[in-house]
This record gives sequence, structure tokens and C-alpha cells, in this order.
Amino acid sequence: MNEACFKNLTKDQCYSLKTYEASGGYSVWRKILKGELTPEHIIDELKASGLRGRGGAGFPTGLKWSFMPRHSDGQKYVVCNSDEGEPGTCKDRDILRFNPHAVIEGMAIGGFVMNASVGYNYIRGEFMEPFYRFEDALKEAYEAELLGQNINKSSVNFDLYTHLGAGSYICGEETALLESIEGKKGHPRFKPPFPANVGLFGKPTTINNTESFASVPEILSRGGQWFADIGVENSGGCKLFSVSGHVKSPANFEVPMGTPFKDLLKMAGGMRDGAKLKAVIPGGSSTPVLTAEVAMTMTMDYDGIEKAGSMLGAGSVIIMDESTCMVKVLTRLAHFYYDESCGQCTPCREGTGWLYRILKRMIDGNGKQCDIDLLLGVQGKIMGNTICALGDAAATPVESFLRNFRPEFEYYIEYGKSMVKG
Amino acid sequence: MADIEIEIDGKMVGAKAGEMLITVTDREGVSVPRFCYHKKLSVAASCRMCLVDVEGAPKPQPACSTPVNEGMKVYTQNGKAKASQKAVMEFLLINHPLDCPICDQGGECELQDVAVEYGSDVSRFSEGKRIVPDSDIGALIQTDMTRCIHCTRCVRFGLEIAGMMEMGGTGRGEHLKIEPFLKDGIQSELSGNMIDVCPVGALTSKPFRYELRSWQMHSMPSVARHDLVGSNLFVQTYKGKVKRVVSADNDWVNETWISDRDRFSYEGLTHENRLLEPQIKVQGQWKQVSWKVALNYAIKGLNSHVLKHQKANQLGGLASSTATMEELYLLKKILTEVGCDNIDHRLNVKNLNNTIAFDSNIKLDALEKIDYALIVGANIRLEQPMINHRLRKATKKGADVDALNVMTFDFNYPLNTQNITAPNKIASTLAGVLKSIMTSNVQELPDYLANVEVDEVANNIASKLLNSNSSVIILGEHIVNNEDASTIASLITQIAHNANSKTLNLSITANTIAANLVGFVPQNSGMDVNTMLAFDMRGFILLDIYPQYDFHDLDAAVKAFTPEDTFVISLNSFKDDIVAGYSDVILPIASIYETSGTQLNINNDMQSYMAAVKAPDEVKPAWKVLKVMADLLELPGFHYADSTQVVAEISHQSYVKHIHDECINLTSKHNGVSTIWQSSPYSIDVVLRHSSALQKTKIGQINSACMNPASAETLGLSANDKYLGVPVVITSTVADDCVFINANHATHIQEQV
Repeated sequence: MNEACFKNLTKDQCYSLKTYEASGGYSVWRKILKGELTPEHIIDELKASGLRGRGGAGFPTGLKWSFMPRHSDGQKYVVCNSDEGEPGTCKDRDILRFNPHAVIEGMAIGGFVMNASVGYNYIRGEFMEPFYRFEDALKEAYEAELLGQNINKSSVNFDLYTHLGAGSYICGEETALLESIEGKKGHPRFKPPFPANVGLFGKPTTINNTESFASVPEILSRGGQWFADIGVENSGGCKLFSVSGHVKSPANFEVPMGTPFKDLLKMAGGMRDGAKLKAVIPGGSSTPVLTAEVAMTMTMDYDGIEKAGSMLGAGSVIIMDESTCMVKVLTRLAHFYYDESCGQCTPCREGTGWLYRILKRMIDGNGKQCDIDLLLGVQGKIMGNTICALGDAAATPVESFLRNFRPEFEYYIEYGKSMVKG
Repeated sequence: MADIEIEIDGKMVGAKAGEMLITVTDREGVSVPRFCYHKKLSVAASCRMCLVDVEGAPKPQPACSTPVNEGMKVYTQNGKAKASQKAVMEFLLINHPLDCPICDQGGECELQDVAVEYGSDVSRFSEGKRIVPDSDIGALIQTDMTRCIHCTRCVRFGLEIAGMMEMGGTGRGEHLKIEPFLKDGIQSELSGNMIDVCPVGALTSKPFRYELRSWQMHSMPSVARHDLVGSNLFVQTYKGKVKRVVSADNDWVNETWISDRDRFSYEGLTHENRLLEPQIKVQGQWKQVSWKVALNYAIKGLNSHVLKHQKANQLGGLASSTATMEELYLLKKILTEVGCDNIDHRLNVKNLNNTIAFDSNIKLDALEKIDYALIVGANIRLEQPMINHRLRKATKKGADVDALNVMTFDFNYPLNTQNITAPNKIASTLAGVLKSIMTSNVQELPDYLANVEVDEVANNIASKLLNSNSSVIILGEHIVNNEDASTIASLITQIAHNANSKTLNLSITANTIAANLVGFVPQNSGMDVNTMLAFDMRGFILLDIYPQYDFHDLDAAVKAFTPEDTFVISLNSFKDDIVAGYSDVILPIASIYETSGTQLNINNDMQSYMAAVKAPDEVKPAWKVLKVMADLLELPGFHYADSTQVVAEISHQSYVKHIHDECINLTSKHNGVSTIWQSSPYSIDVVLRHSSALQKTKIGQINSACMNPASAETLGLSANDKYLGVPVVITSTVADDCVFINANHATHIQEQV
């Protein structure tokens, strides 16, 4: 436990440069500055490590980095996505608070590998403490001559800037994030072209999640194989899980991939007040909800969660006990997506409002039995038809809640009140 | 051009790798529904209506933003494609008011059309619908934003074509609202195109509001007559009245856009100032008479005052350059047949040896490919909107533009430099440019350049011209009455020759090129306009002339036309007191869209059009009036059955070119404050002056005599004064020793009414 991003968690002033360097931090970066590492070697190590994007999509990081046209002329960028907005997740916040230098080193290494001399870290607008922590770390790194132009008299250049968002979920979508850095409204771009070809300011750009970047230095200093061995087949390394909801001690846990869910639940102190587990959303609010029976047999890795019928996502585990009204939970989630839709494309702009209004009507006691099919119909029409994944994210919970907890919805419509809360 | 093959609905078709799927389906005639896609705007891919099934892709793909590649298999009609299209249609309709019965777009609405095929009969949406408050965006465009489907075509039009982002999306999600950012409304001179691009009834024509249904009208192709482009358009009519004008596609001329001036000028046709009956002046009193009486009176007068006394050399023919080519040709033919050589259309020009015959040798599509332009004396965005649009396209591809103007104007692209130069310094600056170029080329300098100083501005322009592969020098309207006009025109010719540049003459407008082609200028040793006005004339035939707006010297003109023994036949389309004051016969002639005719544009395209409506009351097309006059004068060779025979006759003649003498005189210095008099963009001709909606716009309201504080002091003027009847505006954006007047003559008409 706590072997990569959180390895210094318990140390005094774990976020300082001193602590980070004392535990071997920046050793990979210094090797690069001395010309001892090649981009090809780094990409090979990352491929061997089995590191997959920690933001939610799970795309292999080494492969992603190899897609950048590193030898092409002109400016290229690396961007870190710290716009951690998925309901249920709070891991990147703690990385920025407790290990900001790992993010800086990871981004600098990325910049070197992809021949990008400028990086941006886009931090969620509400994250004031992490923002200041990261800014302080950046200052330390510049003062220690670890960033800048011709760093430490090498030919390596890397400048890193922090960009604070303004409170929008959609800016966590990578192309909306790029628009936002460019000073525009956070509207996702259609693809192709992909950011690796036309990204920030129209230049080749790679965007990775905070946790992905923060994992890179440790992987490179201890070897890709070391990281791969921590995890299981197809899911290398360890991963941060944010466990929240009806548990005794909600927290972030860095555990090996493949850890059984029930062990993770134990780490969080088990169910609060001895209540019985009812449902789990394993990867953040846009991943399908699972019933207790299914969850208790699942392992926490990409394949394990997929087998259980959901997705690992950003590793945001929302635990719900028997007292939870699933109609109300879904209504709350629907309201979130309705509120956060950017409005650019039709199915999401119109569909999220429609979903929310049907559910709201249900909660108000004005539901009709045919509304359940209507909900399923509307979510099916959003699914797959939008520019970005927000449409799917809004549709997915509707389908899974109705599939797993349909009787609760029927009850609510029939009696105008919750089956659980009475 | 086809280098790959793809399969669409089971049929193999050729395509170009990388082009968007919708381009291929459109070319092949495969129907794919769409709202946000517009062939002249960037791709948004946001309406999602064009989703189709691409084999191998897990999700349906938008045809507008999916590049094609070899062997791609596309299904536009299968279950998956149809399901997605129907899904999007349902979402578009849930918050749409479905108020088609009271919507002006009804019958020509893309949403309505597509809903017939993809919509459902019954809505499953039982929640409250969204209502969006409207903002008043000016006199031309009516908004009903509750109908908006957020396709953002209007937003992209503003950003990409008009060059001013006046509409934008505010708010997010369901609260996304398309609205203007500023409360002043839409200001672009191309704004009316937003009406055409809007697929629904959110943006409709304000003057046309609640007038008619689109299917009730006849649509006639025609040509705009207010500028050098001759934009192609459709004139839509109902029961013999023009009800609306919309753009027609012609990539060679106006692409798919038209200026607001071309779109809304038709309103002037029904103004109460229209001249509807022939009239003759008997003993100082006007009498409305029949055509027969009026024409006989005209011919009798012409004979008794001029022809019987062999005084054809004291007869003059003047015409407005807004006339059709046929009208100009027939009037010239009549005059030369009766032995009169005094012919001219250059009414507002002080120094006739000037810019009018200056060559244009660049076409519209080439203009958007230039890499450098020098604009001399033009507020090009408002004076020639569609030509400016091409120039803007060039700047978007990286072209640099410099201006040499008497004051700063608003451009809708960044200028390299905007050099504010006094009217009497423009010639010397251009001489500096020429000297700099010839010095760089190591050429022998002509004598007149020996003492010319080359300043930094001249050097910069010269080096831009020399380093360019395809440059153009544009001569604008503000030079027409510059004392150095002919020197400036000659210098530009020399510069263009030595720097291998193209030239574009925007000092002329409307149908001037046609007037030059048919030779509507003094013949043999005939008098030009200014000589005629100073000479003892016995008769005039005047074609659609309004002296207070058309002549640079109103008094001289009125003085020449007024004498008792000068017989004046006026052919006019609108009533005018001054015309009534000096004329002996006034014949009512057809205005735009009421006559067939031909416009010769800057590309030298001879664009002929038919009459879209019959002229009102007793009004007749001028070409017919002129033909009958010729018959009554018993002149040979006027047996035309229709106006196309006139054009055919013109086409057989060789091009009659008015020769312009090269003359460079850098010594004539005009000192003191010069006045550049320019009609404001919406009052350049008689129809525009009577178009009420245009006059209500910001551009229509322009009426100012701009000068800098020093000039104001010299002239003893302050901000509340009027200069030559135009309100004074004191601004440091004007060059020294200059008053730039942008006069809105329509204000006179409004005062009269």
C-alpha cells in the first residue's frame, strides 16, 4: 500500500522538495538532464509497466506518449488534467496537496519524451489549497533549477504553468480543457483531429491525468517491471481509490490493482453503523452502479470491474447502504449532468434536462409507470450520439439504476413515496 | 480528382481522401439531414443530425466531420443511422415551440422539412418547454430565439465571414442562449446573411415580417445594382410587388452572400416618392398627361429647341451610372444619331482627367489569393462590402493589407499599417513608393521623381510590394475629387507596373464599367459634363439624375438646366423638386427589378437579368421609352423587340475605351483644408435613399463631417456646428488639412416627407 503517488504520505512536510528529493525524487529527471536516458527507453519502460491512464478512460500511457509526432517541427505541449470533477473522486486533489513534485517531475519527463518544452497543469477551480501547494512546489523547482530554459546547463527546456479552472465539470474533458486554457468556453472539440495532432493552440499535445504523471517518476526509477508486478494482468501497478459514502473512514487508498473490493471496504473501516451494503458505484458517478452481491465478489482492476458490469473509471468508489433511496440518488445525479452539460450538442443539451425533469416529477409524486420506459428511451437516444463522453456519462447511471433497482422506481411511482425511506 | 473509392449505401463512389463525408454525399445526391453544417462555414458537428453508420465504428459518426478513407463503408439509411437521426430530431423538437402557423420561416424551414421525414407525430415530452427572451438586434433582423436550435451558424457567420462576432452563445447546457453581446444590436454590413443561414425561424427578415408565406411568392433570379460586384440574388414577388430579396449562389461572383444594401434596397420601390405618371410643364404648371402626349411634347420640344436649328452641338446627354447597360447604350445611340457628341456619366467628378478609366485587372476569385494589398482612399468595408469580403479571406490566409487613407476606418481584419495621410500628401507618398521601388530595381529615375523625398511609410509599402508574389493596389472613391486624382492614378499605374502588381479601381461603382464599355463619354470633340454645364446649352436628355446628390457642383448644374430656352427631358424613377424645377418633360421610368437589363461587374461578367415585376402605374422601362423616342425622331436602327437584342448589338461592337492620359504633376500643391465628399453607404443611389429599414441601421445613420481639432480651428467650427449642411464631428483620427464628409442624403428625403 502507498507505494507510488503516496509513498511519502506519512512523512513530515511530505509535499516539500526536500522530502521528495530525500526519497529519490527528481533522480530520473536529473539523469535526463545529464543525457543518460532516451525517450525511447522511457516509452519502453512505461509500456512494460502496464500504466494505464488514471483519468477514467484507461488508455495505456506509454502508447499514448509514443503517438506524439516528437520529431515534427514547431511547438508541442504536455498538459496535466487536474480538473478532478467526477462526483466521488478526490485523489488528484491529494496528490497535488501531498506530492506535487511527482506531478512536476512526471510532466517534465513527459515534456522531454514528447519534445514539448511547455506544460500546463489545469487545476480544478475549487481546488484552492492544492493550487497554492502546486504553485509553491513549482517555485521550489524553478529555484532549484529543475525547470526553465537550458536547465542545469543542459540543452533541455521545460517551462510549466498552472491554469486554474473556473468551476466547470466539462473542462475535465480533455479537449474542453484545451479550449479553456486557450481562453474560450469549455466546449469539447469533435474528433478527429485528435490532440496528438491538433491540440492546444493547434499544436500537438498530450494530456494525461495527475495520477498518471505522478506515477511516472517512481516507475522509471524502480523499473517498469516492478510496477507491473504490483498489479495484475492488464492492470499494472497500484492505483488510488477514493472511497466515500456510508463507510466508517472515507479516504483515498493507494492499493495494488486487483485488490478485492471487500478488502478495500475493510480499509475504509467497513460499513458505517454496521449497516448493510446496498450498492456500489465503483468508478465515479458516470460508471454503472452495482448491487452489493456483485460488488462483494469483484476485484479492483480494469478487467475485474468490467466483468462485474461496470468500469474502473477514475477509481471513485461510492458506497451506499440499505437506507439509500435509489430514486433520489439517480435524481441527484441527473441534476448534476443537467447542470454541467455544456449545451453544445443536441442530445446532451436537451436530453439531460429531459431526464432530470422526469425524475424530478417522480420525486414530486407525479410519476407515471410509463416514465420508466421513457427514461430508458431517452438515455438510449443520448448514448453514443454526442460529441464528448458527458452524454454517455449522463445516460449510463439511468440505465444501470433502472436495471438493478427497477422495483424501487415502480414503488415510488405507484405510492408517490420512497420504498426505503417511507 | 477522385483518388479513393468508398461505399455509400451499397454504391461505390469516388472521393478525395480526407474530405468530409457530407461533401461526398452531397456531391452524389445522397440525402443526409443536417442543421449546423453549412458549406461556407467551419464544421461544428454539434447538431448531430447528420449521424450515419460507418462500418467498423462503434458509434454513429457525424457525416460533417468524418474524413473519408479508402474502402470506407457508410450506411445513411440503415437502422442504426435512422435511429440516431430520429433521436436527434426528437431532442431538437422537445423544446422547440412548434409555432409553425405563426412563424415566418414556415414553408422554407429546414427543421420543418427534416421533421416531416424524421419526426414523430406525437411528442413524448410532457414537461414545460423552454422560453428564451428576445433582444432587439436592429431594423433588419427579427429574432424569435425560443425557436433557436443552437446550430451556431449565425455565430460562425459573424466570426468567420462578417469578421465581427456579434452573436454568441452565453450560458451552458439547456440555458445556452444565442444572443448578441452588445445591446446596440447587429452592425455588420453583411448581417442579413444570418437570416439566410438560420435554418429555423429564430432569425427572420424584419421588413418582411408577417407579410407572406414563401410558397405564395414567385422567385426571379436577378442581379444587385448597388456595387461593382453585381451579386446574384432572387427577387421574390407577390401580385406584382417585390416582397423580399434573398441571395443566390454564384461562387464566381458573390459565393452565397449578399450585402445588406443589396438585400433590403427593394423597400425603396414602394416609397411614396415614386414617380408614377408622365408629366409636362405648360406655362410653368405641371400637368399629368398620357405617354403619347408626353412623348410628343418631348420630341416637339427637342425639335423646336435644338434639332430644327441644327444645334445638336448644343444638346447634351447625361446619365446616372446606376442605369442599365442597355439604357446607356440606347441613349448614346440616339444622341450620336441626331449628331450630338456631348455625352457623359461622370457627374460628380471635378477633375475629369482622373481615375475613372483607371484599369482593373484582377478578378474576384484572384483577390482572395493575393498576399499583399495597398488600399488608397477607400472605406472599403462599407463602400464595397463584397469585395472587402474577398480581401478579408486573403488576410485570413495571411495576406498583409496597408491603407493610405485620410482617416481611420473600421476594418474587419487587422491592417498591417493604417497610414493617415492628408489629401495633398497622398501623391507625394505614392511618388516616394515609386521612387523607392525604382531605386531598389536599379532603374533610371524619371525627372519628376528627382526631388521626391522617400519617407518611412513609402519605404515600408515599397518593400511590401517588392517582396510580394501577388499584390494588388486598390484605388478608392475618396480619390475621385482629390486635386491630385490624375497624378495619383498615374503613379499607381507606374508603381503597379514596376512592382508587378495588379490594380483594382474602386473609385467607380454601380454600372460605370458598362458606361465605359458602351462609350457613354464625349464622342469625337464633344463636350464633357463640366464643359456642358458651363456652356450655353439648348437642350438636355437626363437619365435618372438627381442633381443635389449626383453633381459635385449643384449650383452649376441647376444653372445650366434652368434657362427658359433650354429644353430638358428628364427620365426619372423618383419624384424630385429640383428636377421638377428645371425640366420640361418628366418621364417615369422603371427602377431596379422592374426592368430587364445588364450589369457589367468588376470581373467583366455581363450579367443580364429579366424584370421581376412590372413597373407600377404608368411607369415604363427606360430602354423602351428610349426606343420609342428614337422611333418618334424617325431614327434608323431601333427595331428592338426586347432588350436582349440591344445587348447582342453591344456585344458585336468593339470595346469602346475611354483613354486616360498619363500625367504626373507633383508640383501642383493644393493648400488649406480639402474636403472629401462621400455619400454614406446607404445613400449612394435613389433607391437606397428611399429604403426605410436600411436608413434606420447604424450604417444608414452615418452623417458626419469629420475633421481633426486643428482643421476645426482653421475653419472656425465646433462640435455643434454643421459644415456644408452636415453635422461636424471633431476627431483626431482624421489627417491634417482634411474634412471627410460621409453624408446621408436620405435625411433630406425624410425631412421632406
